[in-house]
Formats: sequence, C-alpha cells, structure tokens
Amino acid sequence: MTDMAMGGYALPKYPFREPPEIAAGTPSRHPIVIVGGGLAGLAAACDLASRGVASVLLDEDDTIGVRGASSRGIVYAQKTLEFFARVGIYERVREKGVMWSKGKTLAGHDVVYEFDMTTATPSVQPPFINLQQFYIEWFLVDRIGEIGRTDLRWKNRVCAALDRGDHVRLTVETPAGNYEIDADWVIDASGLHSVVRDGFGLDPRSAGKTPDRWCICDVRFKKPLPIERWTWIEAPFNENRAVWQHLMGDSVWRMDFQMAPDADPDAVSRPEVAAERMRRQLGSDVEFELVWVGPYAYRSHCLESFRHKRTFFIGDAAHVMSPFGARGGNSGIQDAENLAWKLAMVLAGHADERLLDTYDIERRAAAQANIQVTDRTARFLAPRSKAERIIRDAVISLARQYEFARPMVNTGRLSVPNVYPDSPAVRGPGTSVQNVPITVDGRETTLSQLARSLDTCFLAIVFGEAATDADGLARTLAAIDASARPIRVFACGLALPGLPTIGDPQGKLARALGLGAERSRMPIALIRPDLYLAALIPAGTASELLALADRALGAAAVVRSEA
Amino acid sequence: MNTRPNIPDPDGFYAALVAANEGLDVESSALLMARLALLLANQIGDQRVLLDALDAARSSLPR
Repeated sequence: MTDMAMGGYALPKYPFREPPEIAAGTPSRHPIVIVGGGLAGLAAACDLASRGVASVLLDEDDTIGVRGASSRGIVYAQKTLEFFARVGIYERVREKGVMWSKGKTLAGHDVVYEFDMTTATPSVQPPFINLQQFYIEWFLVDRIGEIGRTDLRWKNRVCAALDRGDHVRLTVETPAGNYEIDADWVIDASGLHSVVRDGFGLDPRSAGKTPDRWCICDVRFKKPLPIERWTWIEAPFNENRAVWQHLMGDSVWRMDFQMAPDADPDAVSRPEVAAERMRRQLGSDVEFELVWVGPYAYRSHCLESFRHKRTFFIGDAAHVMSPFGARGGNSGIQDAENLAWKLAMVLAGHADERLLDTYDIERRAAAQANIQVTDRTARFLAPRSKAERIIRDAVISLARQYEFARPMVNTGRLSVPNVYPDSPAVRGPGTSVQNVPITVDGRETTLSQLARSLDTCFLAIVFGEAATDADGLARTLAAIDASARPIRVFACGLALPGLPTIGDPQGKLARALGLGAERSRMPIALIRPDLYLAALIPAGTASELLALADRALGAAAVVRSEA
Repeated sequence: MNTRPNIPDPDGFYAALVAANEGLDVESSALLMARLALLLANQIGDQRVLLDALDAARSSLPR
C-alpha cells in the first residue's frame, strides 16, 4: 500500500543531478560533507548554512520522509522550536502544526492524572508543537535552498568511508555511477543502519533489553477529538495494553498501540486489523480514514564516542532510544545545533579543533540521560515479571487516590534541554537559555534573533544598575568586543560607553539566566551560539570572561587577538 | 537509616500488618505490601534512607 492510496499525501520528489566528480573522474575536496538528509542531517546543513558555512549533503533517497508519509517524530519541544526560529522555519512549523499543553493519563476508563503546561514560559516559543516529521524535513529542505550554501545531492548513497588522516574519503553510489568525495570533516547523520559507522568498525553498544512492539496508525476523523495528549497505560480497547493518542497537522491523529510481545508485526499492521482497532477505540459509528499504518520495535543503543577522528555521529547514527517523550528527533536536532557552531568557529579559525571534542562530551551525556529516561518509561509500560507488574499496579491504584503517587506514573517524560557536564565549552552544569523577548538599542527582538543577526559568536551580557560606576570594566569589555575573538559584549540595565544595550523590560532574560538580586553586582552571562549558558560570572570581571572564552577557543583566540 | 526500635507499639503493629493480609492470596498480599511500601516511602521522603532500606530489605534474600 502506498502513502497516496492511504492518506492522500504527495511528498515532493527532488531531482537527481549528476555529480561533477563523475565526469571529472577525480574526487573533489570539501570542508564538510553530511551523510543523510533526515531530521538531524538537514538540521546540521541548515544551521551551518545560516552561519555562512557551506556543506555537501548526500541523501540516498529523492524525497523527504521515511517509508512514505509516516508521521515518525511528531512532538517538537521548545529548545527545538527555538532552533527553528533561529534558522528561519519556525513560522511555517507554527502555522502547519498544532500547539498543545494539556495531557491526560488513563488506566482502564479512568483518568489517573492530568497536566496543563500553559504555565507561563519566558520563551517566545511554546512548550510543544506537534507536526509530522516529513513536514519539518520539507521546511528544512526549502530553507536550505533559500539560504543557498548547501550542495544537496539526492540519490547519492554513501557505500564506503575511509579515514585518510587529514580527510575522510567517501565512496558514493548514484544512478549515473559511483564517485569519490573527500571531506575535512564528515557529519554522519545516516541513522540506525549507518554504513559510515559500521565501516569504521564502531559497534553501538546495545542499551536495551527485549524490544517492545508497537503499531502506529495515522488516522483522520470526521468527529473532532480534544486537542490533548492522551496516554492509556491500560487501554480496554487494546487488551489492556498501552495506547497513545496525539493530534498532528492536517487534522491527522497519531495513535500508537502497544502490541503483545509475540505479535506478528505484519498481521497487526494490516489495514483491516488497524481499522478494527480504531472502531474498538472510538465506536463503530465514527468515520475515519487511515493515513499510514506500520509496526515498529523499540530499542536503544549508544556509541562509545560520538567522534571518530574526523567524523561526527549525530542523531540515530550515534544513539537510538525508545520514542517516549519525543527524545529521538529532538535530540538529533540538538546534536546538530551543538556541533554546527563549533565547526563554524573552527573553520573560521576562531577556535582550536579541540573545541570539537566538546560535542562528544556534551551530546553523549545528553544521549545517555535520554536513554535512561526512555528506558524507565519503557519498563513502566512493559513490566518484565509478575512482581514488577504488581509494583506498577500498586502505583496506578495509589495514583487514582493520592496525589503523591502520580509523579511515578510514567507514560513518558517529555523532552527538555539536557544539562551539559563541565567541558572546555561550558562551566557545568550548563543549561539552555530560553529564547526570551529583549530589546537591543531600544529595538524589539528576541535572543535567538539577536544571535541570528550576528556572526557565530559568544554573547557576553553584563548586568547592572544605571548608577553603577564601571568605566574601567567598560573599557576592557569594549576592547574584548572589538577584538578578533568571537565575542560580542552587551550591557543590560546600565549604559556602558562603547557597548550596545540590551533591554529586559519583562525581566524574562534575567529569569532565563536564573539571575536574582546579584544583578546589581555586575554579573556577566556568557552565552554560546547554541543558546546555552557557558558560564555565569557572579561579580563580573573581564579577566574571568577572557579565561573562560579562551578555554573554549584555545590558542586560536589568543593568536588571533594578538595578531 | 534508623535501625533502632522506633515503632511505639511493635506487637500492635505486627498484629495489624498480619490482619491486613488476612484472607488474601499471595498475589493480593504482594499488592498490599507494595502499596504500603509506596505510602511509607512518601512519608520518609529521603532518597538516601529509602535506598538504604531497599538494600537492607533485599540483603538476606536469595540473589
């Protein structure tokens, strides 16, 4: 069955163009080659392009999406939405997607607990937007085309990778024949079955136990359902196994059904079987149309290092986790965001190559945290023994009666920005800074728009009060701002000669940075290009700021600023 | 973790615990004990004490 037959989706087809290397007969050399045009690879290309960095992206297919118009990753969390705002696709995502904030967890016919996340967030972006993954990929492809720095090659399948010391040579298969391409740096975003990773003999350690089997049904109804995330731990209409119900774009609903461990994947995803399940859930009088149906098994694995010499692994090529809490797609995009600015700074000569090691430190820690969180959810939903099921029954039965047990009911902990451990690029624990509304020299903007308007650089924001006497600090900071180091300095709450001012009229920037009364002692917030707080220097000194920046940038910063 | 006597009426509590399990099969009894453990854990509310108590409870059982 094709996607057209079921859901009426016609995904775009992109043209294959014969790569110039085939006629030339010799490999070409590029600073960055990205392997795989899924969420993570497209996000990396788009972020690099928005930073002025060219790359070649090789994708084996000639369209977006996987297995047709499957919805795949559907929940995009705030940090990812803030990334979309920075690279310029947020408005399209907001228009096409569905904002939601309410959720219910049910057992049998009862609501065990419910939540509402409309509590004010300082970010311009909401906590979540739901949208089918292929739309995100579509918007990224369009945006990459608009920016125009990415050589996006469809129907280019990488079949071998060889590290040659100062570059990596990739062998690529195309309809017009094979060719070789050399890259100073490779970003492998080619997913679970990465040829690059396997070719280097790297074996992702399996972190998972018995895979849990599920069946996805993307379905469209005549009768509207409430725009809420509903999860059943025990659904009466699914033989007391779990069910997820989530709205996406185009009024299509995503229903995930947990299957019996010994279920036949092909049998449970037959359209007539899926349709019968929907009728059991919604009643025989509900009219619906199946958009896409497919089985899948959960698993988890994680590479021991996300960097292998000149190759970086991002997204599923590096780590795979159960989909609970939307941590797969969101973490793949955040891998890309973490790596792109570091490569941009290294290629510009602003930072030493050592900065690139922090990608592995930070994002592997994030992946391990995500795998732990998702494995705990998976285990709650699929108890492995009679005793374990009794413990879960105890939690569910208490949660019906008492508030205290509700936080233990685990149907997924929704994706939040990971906290980074100490690395040369962050004084840990490193936290994400939300995209708050600010003014710059009186003009209304947001933190991510400010970052987007500048070359890839750290933002150093010194806080204080109007009456503070800070001429000495101002002179030093203005000198740092004007130096070759990729640091732009701003003053917030006070005017310092030679420095632009940031206004924080609603106090949201201070809130996002966790700044309280110490604002008057002239703290300096050092914010990275991926909008993570590199450090908060409590009583700001320019020397500490420089020391932190130079720790991240290495000798390159010192050499350039002395030149 | 406090391992000195701290229950005001030990015999009374033992009797109440046995009485609560009376007439239950092993599975229902296990559910009761799990519910009790969770209720008590919330009273204690100290992760280190809870993990020490788990270790102590498990220590004399077959591995």
